[in-house]
Amino acid sequence: MALLDKFAAAGAIRDQLSSGGHDPTRVVIDEIISPTEGMVEGRHTILAGTNNYLGLTFDPACIAAGIKALETQGTGTTGSRMANGSFASHAALEQELAGFYNVPYGMVFSTGYAANLGTLVALLKPGDAVLLDADAHASLYDGCQMSGADIFRFRHNDVDSLEKRLQRLGERARDCLVVTEGLYSVLGDCAPLNEIVELKKRYGALLLVDEAHSLGVYGDRGCGVAEAQGVMHDVDFFVGTFSKSLGAMGGFCVSSHAELALIRYVSRPFIFTASPSPSIIASTHEALRQLQARPELRDSLWRNARRLHQGLETMGFDIGPEVSPVVAVRLGRKEVALPFWNRLLENGVYTNLMAPPASPDQNSYIRCSVSAAHTEQQVEKILEMFGRTRETA
Amino acid sequence: MSTRFDEIEHRICQLLASYLESSNHPELEAHGEITGETNLVSDFTLDSFQVMEFMMELEEAFDIMIDVNSLSNSHTVRDLARIVGNELDEASK
Repeated sequence: MALLDKFAAAGAIRDQLSSGGHDPTRVVIDEIISPTEGMVEGRHTILAGTNNYLGLTFDPACIAAGIKALETQGTGTTGSRMANGSFASHAALEQELAGFYNVPYGMVFSTGYAANLGTLVALLKPGDAVLLDADAHASLYDGCQMSGADIFRFRHNDVDSLEKRLQRLGERARDCLVVTEGLYSVLGDCAPLNEIVELKKRYGALLLVDEAHSLGVYGDRGCGVAEAQGVMHDVDFFVGTFSKSLGAMGGFCVSSHAELALIRYVSRPFIFTASPSPSIIASTHEALRQLQARPELRDSLWRNARRLHQGLETMGFDIGPEVSPVVAVRLGRKEVALPFWNRLLENGVYTNLMAPPASPDQNSYIRCSVSAAHTEQQVEKILEMFGRTRETA
Repeated sequence: MSTRFDEIEHRICQLLASYLESSNHPELEAHGEITGETNLVSDFTLDSFQVMEFMMELEEAFDIMIDVNSLSNSHTVRDLARIVGNELDEASK
């Protein structure tokens, strides 16, 4: 087989995805009007699948902070922090994030993906054991695989499955790492972190929680699911991203373990990546302030989440029982979900198509993510278009 | 091959048939008998998620744990039988 022959399979996937008219992986938003609205092929389109949970991408204070950083610090860092040095703003944001989570150590990465990769390859080595939730994000899988550690999956959110594996590990359980997310991004369900913490304490394991989709969404202060479930102090490593609630790009890890400060010496995804641009750091820093100063953003987010969930449920759509800002409508086969997604887009609602193998089971889903910035009218419009699309499907 | 290995392989064939049946896999009937040479990916076009799901079925059936890394070069029922056999040996030490 020639080197490039393997792309035939990717071409087949592209052709299948494009068969409904639009390729769900290649939608172009010609103009961004607001955090919740854009122009797609000349149509006003409600953005209901961009994970802009707090709607801060157009926040005036965040934009002003970004502009000021551009003007005073330039457009980029032109390299890695190890080679080029850190800007003071990188270090300040690390301190701010650590303080937000009430831990002493923090580290900023260039993307959320790099945060997971960079943290896991530093924490794990060949011969170590990691217990990974079966529905964990690809970046968590990739980080574990890149580390060379022994990877054992447990059934999604199933504490019995996790405990069985901890038991099988025997003595190794005391040195293993358990990896979960806070809010799972496809189906919008939360990890039972309080129960997972009980297990990790009983067996002496360490726990890493990815709060990428739950930062700014859960907890009185917006720290995430661990805060909401009262177990923040028992999580060893929090990872997260700037590209959702914080409206920018980048990632972080914070911890009470002093070893986090040493990760920067051994983590190749950190060492060999250009550091985030100062404007990104500045807008992220401001978004973190906004997140803390304006709890009403979370109130709006949850009001919209409840309305969308309740509306779709009333209309008879198959959705999960857990209300969250991620609402996944189960449509079964891809042959049903793909045209449905296309018609929704043509009706002016942008959502996400989740189909096997990217979905966590053999079903296909239309996934919506709600924003604090969605107006009541926009949420009603999303519901109306779901109904209209079903009628014409 | 030892009798024990044959038994493991036979059991995996049964578990695979059962898994494919429960997931209404369209190619189950077309393929016919499942043997040691059966390739999960090319014979049944299982995607990566389904392969991982089936591994979890094996873990529970044999009461073992399978390292995800060990699957990268394992495509046939016989490959899986080797992994399961090794894990059972480890567990009995």
